Amino acid sequence: MRGKKMSIRVLVLVLGLAFAVGSAWAQETIKVGVVGPRTGTAAATGKAFEEGIKLATDYVNAKGGVLGKKLEIVFEDTAGAPDKAASGFERLVTRDKVVMVLGESHSSSALAEIEVAERFKVPFIVVEAWADPITAKNYKHVFRAGPSNSGVVNETIAKWVVHEKFKKAFIVAENTDWGLGIAELTKAALTKAGVQFDFLVTERQSQDHYTELSKIKAYDPDVVLAYVYGTGLHYFVAQAGEVKLMPKAVVLDGAGPPSLWPDYWKNVGDAGDLECFVSSMHEKVELTPLATEFREAYVKAFGGPPTDYKSRSIYDSILIAADAINRAGSTDSDKLVDALEKTNLLVTRGTVKFGTEKGGPGYHQWDPPMLVVQWQKRQQVVLYPPEAATGKLMR
Amino acid sequence: MLALATMNGLVIGAIYALAALGVSLVVGIMNVINFAHGELYILAGYFSYILADTLGMHFVLAMVLAVALVFLFGIFVEYTLIRPTYGNDMYSLILTFILSIVLQNAYLLIFGPYPNKPPGWVGGATHVFGAFYYGNQRLAALVAGAVVIAFVFVLVKKTWFGRIIRATSQDREMAELNGVNTTRLNMLSFGLGCALAAAAGVILAPVFPVTPTAGVPVALTAFVVVVLGGMGSLWGCVVGGLILGLVENLGAAYISTGYKHVFNFIILILVLLVRPAGLFGRREA
Amino acid sequence: MTDIRFYLILFAAAGLFSLLPLGLGDYHLHVMIVSLYYLMMASSWNLLAGYTGQVSFAHAAFAGIGAYTSGILAVKFGVNPWAGVIIGTAAASLLGLGVGVLCLRMGGIYLSLTTLGFSEILRIVITNEYDITRGTMGLQVPGLVEEYSKAAYFYIMLGAAMITLIVLYKLIYSNKGLCFRAVQNDERAAASLGVDVVKVRVLAFTVSSALAGLAGGLYGHYLHLITPEIPSLDQQFLVLSMTVIGGMGSFLGPVIGAFSLEILSEYIRAYGEYHVLVFGLIALVVARFAPNGLMGLAASRLPGGPAPAVTVPSTGKS
Repeated sequence: MRGKKMSIRVLVLVLGLAFAVGSAWAQETIKVGVVGPRTGTAAATGKAFEEGIKLATDYVNAKGGVLGKKLEIVFEDTAGAPDKAASGFERLVTRDKVVMVLGESHSSSALAEIEVAERFKVPFIVVEAWADPITAKNYKHVFRAGPSNSGVVNETIAKWVVHEKFKKAFIVAENTDWGLGIAELTKAALTKAGVQFDFLVTERQSQDHYTELSKIKAYDPDVVLAYVYGTGLHYFVAQAGEVKLMPKAVVLDGAGPPSLWPDYWKNVGDAGDLECFVSSMHEKVELTPLATEFREAYVKAFGGPPTDYKSRSIYDSILIAADAINRAGSTDSDKLVDALEKTNLLVTRGTVKFGTEKGGPGYHQWDPPMLVVQWQKRQQVVLYPPEAATGKLMR
Repeated sequence: MLALATMNGLVIGAIYALAALGVSLVVGIMNVINFAHGELYILAGYFSYILADTLGMHFVLAMVLAVALVFLFGIFVEYTLIRPTYGNDMYSLILTFILSIVLQNAYLLIFGPYPNKPPGWVGGATHVFGAFYYGNQRLAALVAGAVVIAFVFVLVKKTWFGRIIRATSQDREMAELNGVNTTRLNMLSFGLGCALAAAAGVILAPVFPVTPTAGVPVALTAFVVVVLGGMGSLWGCVVGGLILGLVENLGAAYISTGYKHVFNFIILILVLLVRPAGLFGRREA
Repeated sequence: MTDIRFYLILFAAAGLFSLLPLGLGDYHLHVMIVSLYYLMMASSWNLLAGYTGQVSFAHAAFAGIGAYTSGILAVKFGVNPWAGVIIGTAAASLLGLGVGVLCLRMGGIYLSLTTLGFSEILRIVITNEYDITRGTMGLQVPGLVEEYSKAAYFYIMLGAAMITLIVLYKLIYSNKGLCFRAVQNDERAAASLGVDVVKVRVLAFTVSSALAGLAGGLYGHYLHLITPEIPSLDQQFLVLSMTVIGGMGSFLGPVIGAFSLEILSEYIRAYGEYHVLVFGLIALVVARFAPNGLMGLAASRLPGGPAPAVTVPSTGKS
């Protein structure tokens, strides 16, 4: 009796599974996947990505789409977790049959995703994950149209530290792949530049930085290089103000966007003024005409100027992808990789060309120019590079 | 650094004690561990944020109102979820665990992932003992926390309501025989437990802004404090909270910042090995 | 249910399942593989929660122990992943024994809090011991088979799931199983009948931890990536919800729960931020109003159906 019922249940179960076997959609559009965190602590990035995606698809489709079809973007949430990122990437490839994948803002997630990209032979353009190994692994299908840790440190942060004649630096890194990776590079660059420094690791989710700050204060640095992402940075800056670490020492947010998030000022209060951060976007510095076009389209669509520069980063990468698909004349993976390698395209941040020399992080890498910006009376002032500077460091 | 770490340990410890008092009270009377304790702490933070920041209420009024709202929510939770599970502590654990995840995700949906910070009461920092600067808001939180803890002690040790609570937590059947309406008492004390979580929340939110998941570490620490101090012991909460606050901050200062929160759990395991009933617990807890 | 019936049904179901790779694409096979992982996790957690009444919050942590043990051995010492999985399972069962002995004497809330502490310690150690575990970035590990193929992993997980179910069946429907339920229903009465309550609980805890370790080890090698997500409280929540929704304390409950929730989660994934909330609400409603889960509902709908294996909470006022 019981056995019979059980077998009925098993049968129902199996039938249920059969329904799960969906049929692939008929291909009326060309699909490109985007991966990024739409939930979790970095959900703000996902929102910026969504904005960029909307503007870029409108732009591309208004200009005739790709291969005569409309470009369709499928956004997969990674929640900022490597395992979800890897399975989400796989889902884009196996379920949605995308021809290419773009995006990502977490190094740890990107490092998991490039393995999947390589396994399924799908071209993947990383946008805002900075860890060097992403391109240093020299994977055939992996490109990066965005900052790399070594690019940001060697070209921007270390040069800025020297430029401002700082003598003593303190490096604070969150215990993630990005934080520890960029901290190591910074140590090497500062050693080379002859700048004295000390270093400590902090927990990413920690809300209380008093102990760390007292250690930093005891060292009495000129500049604190904070590699802490998300709201952790807000707590750090606010508390640095409370213990009067600032304004004697200058604090640099080595990631950027958290200093631009809408509630930055609410969380940090007056301590937020005079804080510096790296950014690839500034309201008064626009490197290409497309950047102006992007800003105007953004204001029109969302009723205000862009805050998180990652909306523009994903916008650029979609333009790069559409350009490559059109030049390849096909969605074949090898041809796409070939076309990407030959990219020579003007986007909002400059002209994209991917490195093709193997053996280092420069392979399949394009580093956009980065700026060091300081909040001065709640206005953004560009400090570095000198040719783009709109003001001087204040302390 | 020692002075700052000690000061910080005391402030954080007082807040741990306050958060743990609510857990301890509920365990003592109802033998129920409320897993969603941290989420109620966060809820109060959100309420005080909305009332004070969005609706522009005076911050003291906003805080009192936020605590009252969470108290009512606690009574609602007790009535709908907890009451049917009496006599089965495991099931109330499961229900409140699920509730905590539901609340976290509901907050994420309603308030977004960004931290929300109610307005501070005082600004600036004080140069304490001429040794270090300390945020005034934190000092104010210490004072407020101490006042609420004192209030709970007076309530439980000196009032008629406190006598009923103590009688019930010592011997439930006896109390019932003596005419205590334990159903209503459960409801009230669960609500009171939630209100204490809320009090900790409104006091601390201006220092540590609330995010959807920020309640998890608060609740975990409160549970450790309760085991350390002894289930149901109020003094245990205060002493346990201060010990944890100090150990965490001194450990972070002198041993490792990354392992800050592990020290708590090492203490928890040591207590279970050496004195399972906790510092102030009754032997057969 | 007799043994023969059980094995007949199990092998028939497995036989049907083994045909799936013929008809399913990579994506759907992936869903099946993940479902089988959750089946193993939920069923083994059910042994503890459903049959002995002890709520552990470290089940996902034990899966993490299995996964990280095997992964670290493979990456740092070049140990064969299969051997690694076996060592990982052993490590999980040893730690399970340790935690069990430490706190099962007190049982109840102490077990729940200690297991919670254990999983938190594990999380912090994994994030901090970056050099060994690669922290939150996750440890890239080799696969179990030379040539990557979803079908191969599907059969491996199917085999492991069958082993899990057989072990659980043997335990639950033996004399020991009677002790389990006696311990849950009335501890003192069980003790007075000569059942060693602590021993029974420790046995259940150890077996359940070992099975979680096995599941975690295999799953880590399937994903090629082991992250702190595997031993996280979120995963613990999923396993708990699957068991509660399927039916705690019934043999088939977690199986049904694992498949239905994993498939459901794939369907509602498009609504990213809502899907955990939806799960939670379903779990809350089920836990509150149908404490025996879907299995309990099914049993009460069918006339003459068997009573639920265990009455979980007393739904009336006490």
